[in-house]
Amino acid sequence: MMDNQTLTLVVAGASLVAPGLRRVHLVAADGSRLPPAAPGAHITLTLPGRIRNSYTLVSADPERGYELIVRRSDRSRGGSQHIHDQLAIGDVVAATLPHNLFALHSQAKKHLLIGGGIGVTPMIAFLARLRETSARFELHQIAGQTETETFTRLLAPRAGERIHVHAGRSTFDLTALLAAQPLGTHVYTCGPAGLMDGVEAAAAALGWPGSHVHREDFGAAGGEPFLLRLASSGIDIAVAGDQTMLEAIEAAGVDTPSLCRGGACGVCVLPVREGTPEHRDHYLSEAERSAGCLVMPCVSRSRSATLVLDL
Amino acid sequence: MTNRPRYVPLAPDPCARAHLLVADHHGIDGAAFAPGHALADFPERWDIVAHALVLPEPFGGPGVQHFRSSSHLLSLLRHRLAAETMGLRLYAVGSEPFVWDVARVAIDAGMGREEFHLFATGRPVRRVSCVHCRTINPGVTTTLIVCAGCGVTLGVRDHFSRMHNAWMGVQCDAEAPGELPAIEDLSA
Amino acid sequence: MATLFKPDETFRDDYRYGNSEAAILRFPFPFGEDSYMYGVNMEPHTRPGSTGAFAVAFDVDEHYVSECAERARMLALEPGRCLVLPHMQEAEWDTLELIMESLANDYPDQFILERDGLDWAWTNRPLGLHQRFRFGDATTLPHPPFEYIVRQAQGDFTLQDQRDGTLYIDGGIATTPADWSLAFDVGMTFHEWHGPVPLAHQAGVFDRALQYLMRVRYGHPARRLNWTMTVNPRLDTSPENYPLWGPDRASLNAENIGSRLFLRVELQSFFRLPRSNALLFGIRTYLASIDDLTRVPKWGRRLHRVIRDLHPEIAGYKGLTRYQDLLIAHLARYDDGSPTSPGIAPDLAALPA
Repeated sequence: MMDNQTLTLVVAGASLVAPGLRRVHLVAADGSRLPPAAPGAHITLTLPGRIRNSYTLVSADPERGYELIVRRSDRSRGGSQHIHDQLAIGDVVAATLPHNLFALHSQAKKHLLIGGGIGVTPMIAFLARLRETSARFELHQIAGQTETETFTRLLAPRAGERIHVHAGRSTFDLTALLAAQPLGTHVYTCGPAGLMDGVEAAAAALGWPGSHVHREDFGAAGGEPFLLRLASSGIDIAVAGDQTMLEAIEAAGVDTPSLCRGGACGVCVLPVREGTPEHRDHYLSEAERSAGCLVMPCVSRSRSATLVLDL
Repeated sequence: MTNRPRYVPLAPDPCARAHLLVADHHGIDGAAFAPGHALADFPERWDIVAHALVLPEPFGGPGVQHFRSSSHLLSLLRHRLAAETMGLRLYAVGSEPFVWDVARVAIDAGMGREEFHLFATGRPVRRVSCVHCRTINPGVTTTLIVCAGCGVTLGVRDHFSRMHNAWMGVQCDAEAPGELPAIEDLSA
Repeated sequence: MATLFKPDETFRDDYRYGNSEAAILRFPFPFGEDSYMYGVNMEPHTRPGSTGAFAVAFDVDEHYVSECAERARMLALEPGRCLVLPHMQEAEWDTLELIMESLANDYPDQFILERDGLDWAWTNRPLGLHQRFRFGDATTLPHPPFEYIVRQAQGDFTLQDQRDGTLYIDGGIATTPADWSLAFDVGMTFHEWHGPVPLAHQAGVFDRALQYLMRVRYGHPARRLNWTMTVNPRLDTSPENYPLWGPDRASLNAENIGSRLFLRVELQSFFRLPRSNALLFGIRTYLASIDDLTRVPKWGRRLHRVIRDLHPEIAGYKGLTRYQDLLIAHLARYDDGSPTSPGIAPDLAALPA
């Protein structure tokens, strides 16, 4: 599997904070300390049916444990349904170590937080840190009509704090908000893609540099499963969605060189005989990628249903 | 390979909301601007005229404002940036030490590297930091200098610190005292 | 841990230093092939690795006590060698936690960490230290947290803030630097502080290395080896004190080169820090004399070939030019031209008599 290091967690508490929003409290199954995490970090849980879903850590304390807030979604593959309907106190869950792709910027003079729906979760984590460090911030949370009270409760604005919960987007003037921000502001957005795209577009139109606009992105690990054919070895391998090509080759008992396992060093490069690679490395040149004759199995995958390598 | 800042001729950033150009001298050379661009493309400009009677309006908007010295300009720039909103681009033209002093003010105001653009002009002159005694030797125009702090002959390495606004100077004859490489002009 | 510490070694002035046979055999020899060129030679920092030096997170060897004393001496002379920018405070505590946890985990007989909430108690037996403190409260430690813990670790460390698509060197300790200045480099980006390295930029080495490092995840550290040479077992080869150690490069001759010239290997390790999301770079320095290394036949042959065929720009950047010919002549007697196995391991369980 992609992460050899996993945490074995147990559900210590679970409660509905509002219809469709379940707060889950996780601690180490063996009672040990959990790793700390920076605000904005997430963990990936392995749920029944080989479902792996990432959830922001609303809070993370080595002794008290981790808190998630999960919204029930009918459109998902069943992960959130499992968490709402089946997950019970005492259940054991495997999780990855915390990983952070949405961190506060160390040089920001002011942090502007814009959340929508379940995107409130990293905002709650950010709020705790920003309050602790007395940093300058402003938070706008877009809520559905029935959620404003819930989010206000979750965010718990203190006297003098600029925290606004909007019922829907119609009263939220994004452009005016961004235009009024002092030099040195960083904006962080998490929520529906439409909201995040809107924030990016409005900021760009007002001349904000890209480095001051941050959006939550759990990262593209894994992908579609595909068939890998090793032509010289005469072996066919089914590469699963949550496994790298290199891991699949090794699991099949085939020896192939590797070093950094991160797409940067070039050691694992293999020749492609047939099929179209999906390149995710930092080693091959543009020309090599378009030619499609080489691939780095440690990070890259396949666009075509079958990929044939000279191995 | 070296760690040398690269200066790109200036053009107004088409994505920006507003622009401010500052210079440490009058009469900026056309080479400071990208092909197809000129001073007139920057409606708000500040420069230095070294005259005590000059009274600039730092919040004055489009037009040219004159400042008495670079420290006068930088001090008012700090106040101006503190009152600005996102979307501003800052451009600096002048000696290398001047443009990096401007960069320092911009960074302290929370601006990222894409929000300010520097162009060093004129004869190459460097501030050199002696790594041995920490003395800053200003106005260096050659590849070797005698440190004003500790008297050692320093070779000026092609290694620039934006934070200190200085180049690294290291003793060049430590291994063989007196054996000095040929001294060259920086503009060579 | 079976290590016997050598408490009275010095890395300056009288240079009382030597490697035991065990230390020589576990030395992280950096050359896996008969020639050397810059590359992105990073790999996961997992156990056991091909040498004892890779078997733990932060290696503690027989020189530990003496190196800590040398660091204390250096910081008394030049406190500015430890420097952390204010916004890296969280990373300081991350570093303290990581090093304490790792040492206690890897060497349970020598280091003990007891934690009760935020009340911690730390025992360092080799240095005879016992400290109770409150995690997160710097007033309960005798030094700021980063300085406090690196005074008890071998090797230099730097703290990188990850932002704007690059890494900024925003803090660290450099008392054993291979000719680079933390005070001068602080605040530089990854490409800026590597500016002076020849050849590697054109090959795209730093672009790729940066991409790899920015993706290092908590719990999945990486490592690589870097190397240069030092005359005398001197740890402080800083640019600041180059007037003191530079002249040594001209003091080598055919009689003393074997004992006075040292291969200086840096085991660089890269750790993602959890609370700050910063990166900690460990720069662990190992010194072995040419005489030490040539006791391993494979290493003697390989070292001769690497130095003989080294790109002149690399030799120049690493400061070898003045004595390179002397070194090649000295090493020639250890190279009988026989084929030499790939990889860095000595291929010996004990040194020949």
